[in-house]
Amino acid sequence: MARAHEAVSPSVVIAAAGLVVVVAVPLLFILLQAVFPHLGRGSLAAPFYALAGALGDPKLIGMTGNTLLLGVLVVALSALIAVPLAVARALFRVPGAVIWDVLFLIPFMIPPYIAVLGWIMTLQPRGYLEQVAGFNLAPFLFSISGIVFVMTLNTFPVVYFAVSRTVETVGSRYADVGRVFGASPARAFWRITLPLSTPGLAASLLLVFAMAIEEYGTPAALGGRAGFDVLVTAIDLRVSDWPIDLPGAAILSLVLVILSFAAFLMQRWILTRRSYEATTGKPQDSAKRELGVWKIPVLALFAAVAVAATGLPLLAILATAMSRTISGGLAWSNLGLSNFEAILGDSTGALKALGTSLSLGVAAALVTGILGALSAYAVVKSKVRGRGVLDVLTILPNALPGIVVAVGLILAWNQPWLPVTPYNTSLILLLAYCCILLPQPVRYATAAFHQIGDNLEAAARVFGATPLVAFRRILLPLIAPSLLAAMLLVFAVATRELVASVVVAPVGVSTISTYIWRQFEQGSVGLGMAMAFLTILITTALPLIVLSLMGRRGNLL
Amino acid sequence: MAYGKTAVLRGIDLSMPRGQTLALLGPSGCGKTTLLRLVAGLLSPTSGDIAIDGQMVAGPGLFVPPERRGLGMVFQDYALWPHLSVAGNVSFPLEMAGVGAADRETRVKAALDRVGLGAMALRSPSALSGGQQQRVAIARAIVAEPRIVLFDEPLSNLDRELREIMVAELGALIRGLGLTAIYVTHDQSEALTLADQVAVMEAGRVVQLAAPEALVEHPASAKVAEFLRLGAVLSLTRNGVGWSYGDRALGVTGGPETGTADLLITPRALRIAEAGSAALSGEVMAVNYRDMAYAVTVRLDAAAPAQTVQISSDTRMRLGERIGLEIVSERLRWFPARTQAPVQ
Repeated sequence: MARAHEAVSPSVVIAAAGLVVVVAVPLLFILLQAVFPHLGRGSLAAPFYALAGALGDPKLIGMTGNTLLLGVLVVALSALIAVPLAVARALFRVPGAVIWDVLFLIPFMIPPYIAVLGWIMTLQPRGYLEQVAGFNLAPFLFSISGIVFVMTLNTFPVVYFAVSRTVETVGSRYADVGRVFGASPARAFWRITLPLSTPGLAASLLLVFAMAIEEYGTPAALGGRAGFDVLVTAIDLRVSDWPIDLPGAAILSLVLVILSFAAFLMQRWILTRRSYEATTGKPQDSAKRELGVWKIPVLALFAAVAVAATGLPLLAILATAMSRTISGGLAWSNLGLSNFEAILGDSTGALKALGTSLSLGVAAALVTGILGALSAYAVVKSKVRGRGVLDVLTILPNALPGIVVAVGLILAWNQPWLPVTPYNTSLILLLAYCCILLPQPVRYATAAFHQIGDNLEAAARVFGATPLVAFRRILLPLIAPSLLAAMLLVFAVATRELVASVVVAPVGVSTISTYIWRQFEQGSVGLGMAMAFLTILITTALPLIVLSLMGRRGNLL
Repeated sequence: MAYGKTAVLRGIDLSMPRGQTLALLGPSGCGKTTLLRLVAGLLSPTSGDIAIDGQMVAGPGLFVPPERRGLGMVFQDYALWPHLSVAGNVSFPLEMAGVGAADRETRVKAALDRVGLGAMALRSPSALSGGQQQRVAIARAIVAEPRIVLFDEPLSNLDRELREIMVAELGALIRGLGLTAIYVTHDQSEALTLADQVAVMEAGRVVQLAAPEALVEHPASAKVAEFLRLGAVLSLTRNGVGWSYGDRALGVTGGPETGTADLLITPRALRIAEAGSAALSGEVMAVNYRDMAYAVTVRLDAAAPAQTVQISSDTRMRLGERIGLEIVSERLRWFPARTQAPVQ
């Protein structure tokens, strides 16, 4: 029996070390803190003391219930909005289909905490709606319905794109075959397209669920007045307000991780076991059907959703950013660029925040790109023992909400016995962003590595390359396009990340998101929205420019 | 049939009698699959019309959708529905035709037995090998006794040995059931084995429609002959009553009354002779063992650009050996000279 004899490649060692620092350490400290309440004092006394008490706490049960309720409602509303649109888009000739797709992509570019500020400006008492139409919807907005509504507008595109893509491939590949064998269009849809699309739909809904229970900005901005607490906001309260309750935060984090991990495992199980999307053979063009009398209603639905999800928040952000004063309201005389001047004049520290976030975004993209490529290599291509552990470490961050990563980093790096620590430096932000966003490069690189035959690397070795040279000269160039797309995504998300930034940003360091958040809390909404507008512009335009320079279409999904 | 400005199919006029098999043969991109999808109703023609059993199914202002054309079809990628079992896949056309459950069960079993997969009925298609999957697809195509069965390169995803077995099985099935079939392929031996009529297609046109034996004996053009790999096509120039190849007088007569002509030389039209005295001579380039004899590739002398011919030999020849070749005149096929692209 021949055995692959290979010394452990240096790339695997680097991957392992990086994963331990970025992923394992914060998670480990959450577990330790939850079990040992006096960990902060370097003591392992009274294990499970706090845990036992907290798990029976009716407040914890209530917040967990609220979190689940929020997740379920967002999932339900997302499905209600996205599925009809996606089916129409996939099976029928919808006029302007590509334009609708682009309009539904924009919500991805607007972080939910910015969109929610736009909605507040629109629906609050004396907001834009009241100025235009004479009434306000504040009671609706500052309630669980409002939270679900705003979050759904941010998450439904996940379902829309997943379902329309699945239905389209299944429709042309399998449903057409059904029609050759005598099924009418309706029967082919119910018997073939729908059952084959269900796994894709279920997986996208679970992703929406995970996004909803991890979201911080929307419940924080809208839930407070309604007394609607979810796990994320409660964790934030315990780590940022006196009295600081680290054991409590760790326990709540643990509950949140379990929920999010369950959703993630189910999603993964569905996609690997029940997904039929793997297509072979050439894609076949199939003629889409005409909408006929349904054309106008369907177009109206698309337009209404696009206005609500993209148009209104963007307009509200822009209107606020261009108002000289908020009290001046929607009036031509109130229009001006003073907020942008203030930002570019750096009188409020805005440029510094921009610089901090942009450089952290670039650094996070580089670190996660390298670490992601090496980890994916170790898991997919190397035969090293223990690569199962590396696999788990690369997958775990998928189920780690930003707030949990932040808490874990505080717990790990704020220990009194540490001689040096990144805590209270910008480095801790970088660690947080890397942990939260590592799954993106890993996912892209893993998919790319799976498409590369083992013999390409073997051939390089036979022709004289060392493992590192083979990785750099053969494998890296082959996965570079996918990896670059993932890194651009990391850059775009990291530069405007909110929750971890709010929790771990050192004293005196602002990021884009904490700047916007603080302006809003201080009442300088115009400044915040001007910054938000610039941020959306920069984080959307930069990746698109890089991609078009690379000659690739901007497919950041 | 046209997409945008590029006409994919032009001037196609085919008809086929019931109970026969028509093969559409041609290189990839010649439009044969497009033609099949037009018949299936998966595409609709921009002009022209299609009739099945005397009933118009596509034409100006008329389009009968695929489910009302009464067809069976076998796809290149099998296209078995992954969420249904083998029996579920085969049963689907019967369900759509409104056949009762009991009747359905016996017919599904009969169809699966016919392709030798009776024991696999409850499996998932993904658990089967490629050849088995294609047998399921064939069972699904014939179970409802459709008016026409369409085959879209059904064997091209299988390896050579399996392909040869499946060609024989398919031939027995088609003749045994008296199927009316349209069979798309780029493999000339499949087409010549299975079909009653073969339509050779090139660049969206049918360049020849003939029975297999007529096609082999009388290819319509040098190009058809080359595509069918019938033999080598030599460009000749007239030399009095005879013909020359390069500076060699060939001692053959006949052919068109023109200054130049193309000549198809099949392996059967050549006889091995002494190198010195024969009309053609050349050097053995390759020897392949094939079907109980050696297929010998010979590079002709006096040929620019280099030209090879194939002959069959009972003995194994040495590479580099010089041999002579005599041409057997009555087995030749003449074509008008093509304008040849300059070879660099």
